[in-house]
Amino acid sequence: MSNKKGAYGTSGGGDTSFRKTWDRDEYAARAEERERKHKEESKARYEAALEGKKYHRRASTPPDARETEARSSRLDVASMVGKTMLVPAGAGIGKRGKGAGFYCEACDLTFKDNIQYVEHLNSRQHLVATGQTGEVKRAGVEEVRARLLWLKRKRDEETKEVVIDLDARLEMNREREEREREERRRKRNEKRRKTKDGLGHQEVKIENDGIIC
Amino acid sequence: MAKGDAFHKADASALLDDRGYSGALIRGQNPALLFEKGVRERITDSYYWKEQCFGLNAATLCDRAVELKFIGGTTGIMGKPTPFLCLAFKLLQLVPEKEILLEYLNFSAHSPEDVDTDNAGEFKYLRALAAFYIRLAWEPVDIYKTLEPLLLDRRKLKRRTKDGFTLTYVDQFVDDLLTKDRVCATSLWKMPPRSLLEDLDLLEPRESLLQEEIEALDEEGDDDVQIVGSEGDD
Repeated sequence: MSNKKGAYGTSGGGDTSFRKTWDRDEYAARAEERERKHKEESKARYEAALEGKKYHRRASTPPDARETEARSSRLDVASMVGKTMLVPAGAGIGKRGKGAGFYCEACDLTFKDNIQYVEHLNSRQHLVATGQTGEVKRAGVEEVRARLLWLKRKRDEETKEVVIDLDARLEMNREREEREREERRRKRNEKRRKTKDGLGHQEVKIENDGIIC
Repeated sequence: MAKGDAFHKADASALLDDRGYSGALIRGQNPALLFEKGVRERITDSYYWKEQCFGLNAATLCDRAVELKFIGGTTGIMGKPTPFLCLAFKLLQLVPEKEILLEYLNFSAHSPEDVDTDNAGEFKYLRALAAFYIRLAWEPVDIYKTLEPLLLDRRKLKRRTKDGFTLTYVDQFVDDLLTKDRVCATSLWKMPPRSLLEDLDLLEPRESLLQEEIEALDEEGDDDVQIVGSEGDD
């Protein structure tokens, strides 16, 4: 009884306090925003008219859309070479769904070759599906300089590791191979431990395998 | 529209739109027209363009440019464009400001006081790319003023020809840009010759670094003639 609430979310007594109270600041801000937008648009419209062009209002972009950026690495088109995968029976027809080929996760499409795939990645459809605007931010001189400095540092670090002495290189190669072998051995052992009796997968050997006598 | 200045399209659709193009102009026309139509089409069809040139801006373009291994125009029977040409086309799309081009051209990791001709332009293929773009896009006086200092750069460049590779040098490439009319599968626009600009007092006469040597040679030559002449007199 003590906190009686009216239909519009107001509380307290009084004759007139049943009315909804408006947040004046918020609505003032909204009005200001709307006026500003209107002003901007009419200015753009006027400028376009001066240049003899027609003004088109830009479609509003969703607030969480991000700018398109350059690919940071090469597209890996060879990752699936030599692999076997199961595809649904109807996957051979059309691009829809996951099938054999280059699959785009966001758009649920499969492409048969890398050219089609990369064209799709650049397409408006894909950019919209992944929340990108399709527009790239312009870079200024400082950004260019920072980028070049970074590239220079990166290159310096890469060339620092290059050893020209032949003996040292042979030694490095041997160590690397040793490491890889160790890794393979470790994996094999793990696999063996995973099987039921710990004996690993026994090779099934049949006498005269495959030879017809 | 403030947004139009801060952003540009990730692909070349706006650039290749020959009726509704509204971007920056170079000498009053669409920058894409500086390349021939056939080359333009082959560039936009090429895999390198689609994969590596998508969404580049003036800063990320450096990533690609420092990884270039050769310059050149088109290769093979099909006229496949080289990455160098694709990036030049991208530059024509971006039309970066002069300062950015100068940064490409004369970048040095050293502090500004230590920069001299020896360590300027550390990435030579980026430098070649910027020089190529400058020759296409800038005004003649600026071209001569910015490209002539590059004639001191004697680093090697690998150049891809139609069916193989040849060796060239940065200075040689820049000289080609200044004197020839067809470089890297592109017809360079006709630039007024240096002598004309000198007559109009827009440029100072160029002092060649070899001037002294040439004069010395001339003097020696004169001496020889005199000696021969004096012998002849005797």
